[in-house]
Amino acid sequence: MKKLVLLCLFVLGIGFSLFSFKGLAQQGEFDSIILDFREDVPIAKISEEIQGLSSKYNQRVDLNSVFSISDRIYIVRGDKKVLKELKRSDLKKDTEYIEANYLYYANAVPNDPQYNKQWNFRDINIEQAWDETRGAGATVAVIDTGVSKVPDLKSTKFVKGYDFVNNKDDASDDNGHGTHVAGTIAQSTNNGYGVAGIAYEASIMPLKVLSGSGGGTIADIAEAIKFAADNKADVINMSLGGGGASSMMEEAIKYAHNKGVVIIAAAGNEGSNSSSYPARYSEVISVSATNAAGDKAGYSNFGAGVDISAPGGEGMNESGSIWQNTINPDQSQAESVFAGFQGTSMAAPHVAGVAALVRSTGVDNPDEIRDILKQSSRKVDEDHLNHFGAGHLDANAAVQMALKGKITFNDFFRWLRKSGYLNLGFWIDGGAIALLPKLGMVIGSYLLAWLLRTYLPMTLALNTGLIFGSSGLFFLQGLYWFDLPQWPMRLFGSSLPELGNVVFGNSNLNPLFASALIPFLLTALLLNSSFKWFAIGSSIGVAACLGVSAFTDPGIWLLGSGAIARGYLIVNAALCLGLAYLASQKDAQRV
Amino acid sequence: MTVIGTVEKKGFGFGTWALVSENGTTYELKDPADELKQEGIKVEVKGKIRDDVMTMATIGKVLEVESYKLL
Repeated sequence: MKKLVLLCLFVLGIGFSLFSFKGLAQQGEFDSIILDFREDVPIAKISEEIQGLSSKYNQRVDLNSVFSISDRIYIVRGDKKVLKELKRSDLKKDTEYIEANYLYYANAVPNDPQYNKQWNFRDINIEQAWDETRGAGATVAVIDTGVSKVPDLKSTKFVKGYDFVNNKDDASDDNGHGTHVAGTIAQSTNNGYGVAGIAYEASIMPLKVLSGSGGGTIADIAEAIKFAADNKADVINMSLGGGGASSMMEEAIKYAHNKGVVIIAAAGNEGSNSSSYPARYSEVISVSATNAAGDKAGYSNFGAGVDISAPGGEGMNESGSIWQNTINPDQSQAESVFAGFQGTSMAAPHVAGVAALVRSTGVDNPDEIRDILKQSSRKVDEDHLNHFGAGHLDANAAVQMALKGKITFNDFFRWLRKSGYLNLGFWIDGGAIALLPKLGMVIGSYLLAWLLRTYLPMTLALNTGLIFGSSGLFFLQGLYWFDLPQWPMRLFGSSLPELGNVVFGNSNLNPLFASALIPFLLTALLLNSSFKWFAIGSSIGVAACLGVSAFTDPGIWLLGSGAIARGYLIVNAALCLGLAYLASQKDAQRV
Repeated sequence: MTVIGTVEKKGFGFGTWALVSENGTTYELKDPADELKQEGIKVEVKGKIRDDVMTMATIGKVLEVESYKLL
């Protein structure tokens, strides 16, 4: 009795954990709820309920579209909490279902209305990259004239920064350059406003080191670099340059590099054949600028020290420049403005944004990130003067290279879709288990037990042994529970002889397991314990299993599936039966 | 040092004032006086190069104006 209770509890426990396992089905993103009212409920009643709903949550409740009328599909804005309440409310009886209105994303072209002006993003193949990552979890330090929270940065995440020019915490922009650079990196995207940014789920750390007129000291810049490294920035963008070599700056850069920060800087706008400082330092990725035609922009530095090229624009009109939201430093005009800038200052944040994307896929070594950025870039033939460094920045190629060798959730989800496992009808894969032979084995084992009935007590141990030896809980083998590994199902769903092959997914029996060996060992071990009936039951079960297999599917590894295999199985089945008989004989008087 | 050249507004950021010398070298003017902020004027500037300063424009060496003469 106690054993029965324990068994029931065990089954209940497993069942409970399986049913409460939250697979993919409940992890979608949503901000509204679907209510499908039943067709047999009068319209007047539905109107009344909708009114009630609308006033309770102070939200509009609308038909989803003109096509929703006949099916009575209504949408109300709400979150998980509202969904729960609605599911439990009186509406339940008048609706066919109440469920989350999950959001699906296509190969994302963002809904930012001025996205069409951003030729530079098509140039770096950003849309395919966004399928994999949008920079979540990465922090990019913008060391510049400061960053102001213009309207198109409203949804962008910010972390604490600092103003080294005026020595205060608020690092707002008073020039327009820094905000524009931050826009290229992480402009609020898919917010139905303005333009897009590359790593729009990354965080911005604003560090003001340049004054309103655009200049700053090396001391401030070096300290900002250290601040960024100490405050867990993953990427540093320096759209600035000039001066000469500086030990303080070099030390700060080495410090940040050792702390795992990827450092990117503009190559400079002197049109000369070497990169400016700090881009020139070996730990810094130096970026030259290209125009919309893919040529080096006239103003851009090139040659010595340039590592990679990215869109920097040429000219100030919309069609050739880099278009982002920034502040207007002219106090007499509107505060926020969309402006087209050009410069290696605009090219560098493209690389910083893609570095953030790569970082968020899990690559955290700065040298590895640099190598990925360079190796994945589009090579330019005949670049004798090193206009382009390793090549043109390619966001998608970089992200794909970063992911190579890593199985992401997206890959798994695609595989699931293709393999059909997401099809509800695939839950029980009847074809995978041959039902009749299995039934034959179980019934066969009980038949054999009945033959020996004089010597056998029908205890739980015996029954467990019979099942375990003959077929296992074979229906489990065909169960595929979403998001869970399947091998435990195969394990518990296997008979003893199958244990040697099923877990690994092979269909041929293992000759060691498909024999009297293990029943013999079990019997020898358990004969003088309270589990002997389990061993005896297993032997009978195995006999049945091997006997049936000899006729239905005698495939054995190393023995083929012909007469030899059949003979092997039949002989072992007989041995198992004999073993069970002898073992049960021992205690014949006890029954 | 003394530089004779033409003042130009370069299109970086919202605009950066530069002094293009007679031999073609571009200098970035650091915080120029309003009188200097005129496109195309010819000037003689006395000043010093600030190697400890970096800028967003990176168009050339940063020239801090000490005195100037319109030509």
